[in-house]
Amino acid sequence: MLLETNGLTKSFGGLTAVSNLDMHINQGEIVGLIGPNGAGKTTTFNLITGIHRPTEGNVLFEGSNITGKKPHLVARRGIGRTFQLASLFPDFTVLVNVVASFYLYPKSGFWETLLNTSSYRKKEEYILGRATEILQLLGLNDVKDELAGNLPHGYQKILGVARALAVKPKLLLLDEPIAGMTHKEIEFSLGAFEKMRSQGMTILLVEHNMEIMGLCDRIIVLNFGRKIAEGLPKEVRQNKDVIQAYFGSSDAA
Amino acid sequence: MKGMRGGLTKPICYTVLIILLILLPLFITKLYYIHIFIKTLLYIIVVSSLRTIALSGQVSVAHAAFMGIGGYFSGVISKELGLTPWLTMPMGGLAAMIIAVLIGYPFTRVRAIYFSMVSLLGGIAIVNMIRVLQKWTGSAGLAGIPPLSPINIPGLINITFLGQKVPYYYFTLLLTLGSLLVLYRIEHCRIGMTWKAIAQSYLVASSVGINEAGFRVLALATGCFFAGIAGASYAHYNLVLTPDTFSFLPSIFLVMYMLVGGSDRFSGPIIGTAILVMVPELLRGLKEFTPLIMGAIMLIVVFLMPQGIAGMFDQIRAKYGEVRNRKVPGNAA
Amino acid sequence: MMAIEVKNPALWSGFFRALPEKILSPKDKINLPPELLAQVALNALMLSSMYILMALGFAILLGVMRVLNFAHAVIYMGGGYICYQLAIVYGLNQWLSLMLAAIIMGLFGLFLERFCFRPFFGDVNRTLVMTLALIVIIESVVNILVGTQIRSLPAFASGIIRTGGVSLSVERLVTFIISAALLLVIIFFIQKTKIGQQMLAVSQDDTGAVLQGINIYRVSAVATVIACALAAVAGSLMGAIFSLSPYMGGHMLVKAIEIVILAGIGSIGGVLVAGLILGTIDATLPILMSGSASDVVGLGIVILILLFRPQGLFGHEA
Repeated sequence: MLLETNGLTKSFGGLTAVSNLDMHINQGEIVGLIGPNGAGKTTTFNLITGIHRPTEGNVLFEGSNITGKKPHLVARRGIGRTFQLASLFPDFTVLVNVVASFYLYPKSGFWETLLNTSSYRKKEEYILGRATEILQLLGLNDVKDELAGNLPHGYQKILGVARALAVKPKLLLLDEPIAGMTHKEIEFSLGAFEKMRSQGMTILLVEHNMEIMGLCDRIIVLNFGRKIAEGLPKEVRQNKDVIQAYFGSSDAA
Repeated sequence: MKGMRGGLTKPICYTVLIILLILLPLFITKLYYIHIFIKTLLYIIVVSSLRTIALSGQVSVAHAAFMGIGGYFSGVISKELGLTPWLTMPMGGLAAMIIAVLIGYPFTRVRAIYFSMVSLLGGIAIVNMIRVLQKWTGSAGLAGIPPLSPINIPGLINITFLGQKVPYYYFTLLLTLGSLLVLYRIEHCRIGMTWKAIAQSYLVASSVGINEAGFRVLALATGCFFAGIAGASYAHYNLVLTPDTFSFLPSIFLVMYMLVGGSDRFSGPIIGTAILVMVPELLRGLKEFTPLIMGAIMLIVVFLMPQGIAGMFDQIRAKYGEVRNRKVPGNAA
Repeated sequence: MMAIEVKNPALWSGFFRALPEKILSPKDKINLPPELLAQVALNALMLSSMYILMALGFAILLGVMRVLNFAHAVIYMGGGYICYQLAIVYGLNQWLSLMLAAIIMGLFGLFLERFCFRPFFGDVNRTLVMTLALIVIIESVVNILVGTQIRSLPAFASGIIRTGGVSLSVERLVTFIISAALLLVIIFFIQKTKIGQQMLAVSQDDTGAVLQGINIYRVSAVATVIACALAAVAGSLMGAIFSLSPYMGGHMLVKAIEIVILAGIGSIGGVLVAGLILGTIDATLPILMSGSASDVVGLGIVILILLFRPQGLFGHEA
């Protein structure tokens, strides 16, 4: 098990956003976390990555307890994530977005950096090379000098993923990675995720769009902060509780 | 066209400017003007360092106070302990840096506009402390600060600072150039890039492993170090210090110098400070009206020139040539 | 009986000329300890209410418009001077002057919101420069017109009440009662009226509020008017108890900020509690130690809060 949560709960004042969530992700899986708006999906991500501290419960990654650790420490453990909105640095170019995200590996020391030593320069060159690779992998190389904030929406989303890859993550948390994309962009993204999985990446993603269900090995369904179903995509699709939760929502499969 | 990509124009302009500055005392002999230049140079260091802090998304309204820490620390230590200012000035910078980290650590818990709010408190507290420690800092001000000790290498150089403006001018020029060099380097290496990333989105920055709170403290420490050094230099130049020089109003003016010059570019604070320090000197007769005029300038800039004066050059260049993307590290400002 | 001596506050010069250390002003020096207690209590209440008047407006602006209104300091000061101008120079009834000052400042608030804050909604840097420019301009204008010579409004009510063996200054009592009444009115306004509730909604979630059809400009305007009027009242009342100077606002601004941090970002109700705490501290501590030491206590509290509970006593998690 790569990631495991036990009894994860988060209350904000009177509102319980996530309630008693037990879930696990295995190495190499693509797991979908779905549910109607407000079900607690993004909050779960925030709990895992340390932006919020859980009221109860814990989070284990590769066996060790990362509950409530600060976000940058969680990133160092090997969890990368994208954000639902603005998952990028809007005033940087696309290339710089990824270059800036290569903070962790390779890491340059303070004086190295300041004095522009040759080891620093070599590392920066290496980073530039790897960043360009990632951009090519995700089809962003043509726009690498555009300001990220000016990109069309779909490109911005993919850039978010490119950025997250810089952390050399073992687990990637994607928050609505294909929301608002055109059909072609979605096809492309799904292909990219599949490729990442084949290279050993584990992905947990949150989505509304049902098209992504086909990509997932497993689906977990949340409603009002609780897990109401879990299983293979076709099982979940036919689950009574799930259909009822989505009843009236325009995302019903 | 002006401003070629990767330009030779820029370095040439700067070199000419520096040469002019070096040769300045040859054709400006009125000591009063030299004094203005010295003051301007010191404030350029301070405002540029304020901008360094602002790179990380934090606008400090307490920066003058850190100048004061450097000045008072160096002044008191050299006066009471008899140490040479050459030693106590860097100590002043360090003192300012240490205080910045100590109070900065809780203050960086809050971000953006709330940081400005608490920095106000910090600045006032610092000046209060200076006033409270009257035993050392003097009840009406600190006097009797030793000037820079003479540099004496027998047979080669003999420079006395006491009572001379020109040696002070060259020292300040050297200090300013050195400080600007360091600040420029920090901004354009990965450290600066990380600061700019944090300023745009601290959430995204922390998701890639950046300890954004720690980096913000680093920005604060760096900026305050240079402010402290500038303050210490000022102390050993002016030989007298009063707390008023470092209180709330001066801190506001510093922010104004930065924003009027334009906080987007490295040259912004330099241009802004140069203009806004010179202006009151030229309007010496209207002493009471000075804050009013400054305030009016602030309003004009806010309403008409959001990018500041340095930004205006961009706009002009955009009309007549290409505007390079300034946000990419590695490009000259 | 021993006369109570107030330790000498440290010399203040420069920006902050208001001297709240002189809380026990000479005419109040009393000989009996129980009287002292009652006096200190009254001072605490009065000071708290003044702080709250100032801090509430500041907090409202911060919450509703996300504006760090440094210029609040000069609105406070301006209110005091306008009251002075109306009451002393034009000879109007002092209570009338107070109300007029509040109204005038409220209208100025409308102007502020429309022309100074609204255009720069969301641009933090420019709003900051704007408020700083306002402080600089208004202070220097007042300085030029009026001079830094310290002047004072005559007391709004004078005399001493003696009850239960204790002498209390009528002026301070009245001041407290007026401000408490004003605060109650405002609280009622916020809780019970539609626009008050809208203000709360906007301060908690502005995007959501707009989506619900709340006219954010109208709410901002109302908020600014209230904030400015409150500050003007505080300035006038304080100008009578202490004194007026072009730089008097700075100290109160600091207090307002301390209160807002203590109460918690986003909490408007918490300002009442925080104001009470800080007012009590400032009324009691200067008796025991020197004036600037009690300021350090205020700052110390802020630092502690920031270290251990950055969201303040009542704020929501950042």
